[in-house]
Amino acid sequence: MDDLTEMLKGTLEGCVLQIIGSEEIYGYAITRRLNELGFVDVVEGTVYTILLRLEKNGLVQVTKRPSGQGPPRKFYRLNDAGRKELKAFWAKWEYISIRIDKLREGGE
Amino acid sequence: MGIKDIIDGKKYWRAHVARIKALPRDYRIVYNEIQRYFFKVGPVELLDGSLFEGILDFFEEGVAAGKGVLELVGNDVAAFCDDLIKGSRTFADIYQESLNARK
Amino acid sequence: MNFWETITGSDLTREWKAFEARATKLPADYQAAWSQIKTHLFPYGGFSGRNLMPILDGALRLLEESASDELGIHEVLGDDIAGFCAALAGGHGARTYRDRWREQLNGTVARKLSRLGG
Repeated sequence: MDDLTEMLKGTLEGCVLQIIGSEEIYGYAITRRLNELGFVDVVEGTVYTILLRLEKNGLVQVTKRPSGQGPPRKFYRLNDAGRKELKAFWAKWEYISIRIDKLREGGE
Repeated sequence: MGIKDIIDGKKYWRAHVARIKALPRDYRIVYNEIQRYFFKVGPVELLDGSLFEGILDFFEEGVAAGKGVLELVGNDVAAFCDDLIKGSRTFADIYQESLNARK
Repeated sequence: MNFWETITGSDLTREWKAFEARATKLPADYQAAWSQIKTHLFPYGGFSGRNLMPILDGALRLLEESASDELGIHEVLGDDIAGFCAALAGGHGARTYRDRWREQLNGTVARKLSRLGG
C-alpha cells in the first residue's frame, strides 16, 4: 500500500515498542520486522530516530553486543517505564480505533 | 578544563574524523551535509557530541550491511535530521527565551 | 560600544578569544564572512552575550567544516547574511529559513550523490 507514511507516523513508535517488548532485538532487525509486516516504506533511519527517542525518554535498556561482521550492535529491551508506555499505546490505539470503526459503521 | 581533558578531547576528535574518512563516499557526503544542517539549526545535543557519534555508529552499521546511504536514511534526509532532534531545544530557542525573560 | 564590552565575565572573554583564534585559520573570504556574521549577530549580542555563544560556535563550526570541504562561501551562506544570522538566533524569519536549510540539505545531497553515481 502506498503513502502510508503520514498516517503511520504517530503509531510507528508504538509498533517499535511492541516489537521490542516481545524480544531483545537490534535496530536493523526491527526494520526488517516492520518491512515483512508490510510497512515496506519504513527505512532504518526512521527506526533509528525512534530508538534514539525511546532511549532518551528512558523507556528501553540498551546493551552493546559484538556482531559477526561490522561494528557492535545495540540491542534494545523494554524496561518498566517502556512496558507502561506500551500499555498506554495500546489503550490509545483501542480508544481511537473503536471510535473510527463506529464512525464508519454509522456512515456506510 | 585540564590538560588531560584537552588531550583526550583532541584524541577523541581525531578518532572521530578518522571514522568519517573511513566511510564510503556517499555516506561521507550525507554525513557532512547533515553536520552542516545541524550547525545552522543548533540543537542543544551539539554540546556533548552524542548526536554525531550516534549517526556515525548508525552509518557504520549501514555500511557493514552493504546498504546505500539513502536506502538507509530515506530520500528525505532533512526529515531524518528533524526526527533526530524532535522535541529538543535549540540554542536559538534558549536565546529567544532569554530575551523574553528580560522583557 | 563593541561586542567585547557587551559580553561580561572573564570566561566569556576567554571563549571569545578562542573563537577569534579559530577564525584566523579560515581562508580570507571565510574570515570576511565571519566578521559579517559577528556584525549581524551584534545587535542580538547586546542583550545576552552568554546565550549567543553556542550560536556563534555553531556558525564558526559551519564555516570551518565548509572551508575544509572547499565550498565557496556563497554556497554556504547565500546572499542574505543578515537574514541568515537572524535565523541562526531564532529571530524574524527563522521558520522560513529553516525550511530553506531543509531544502538546501536535500538538494545538495541529491546533487552530490547523482554526480557520484553518474
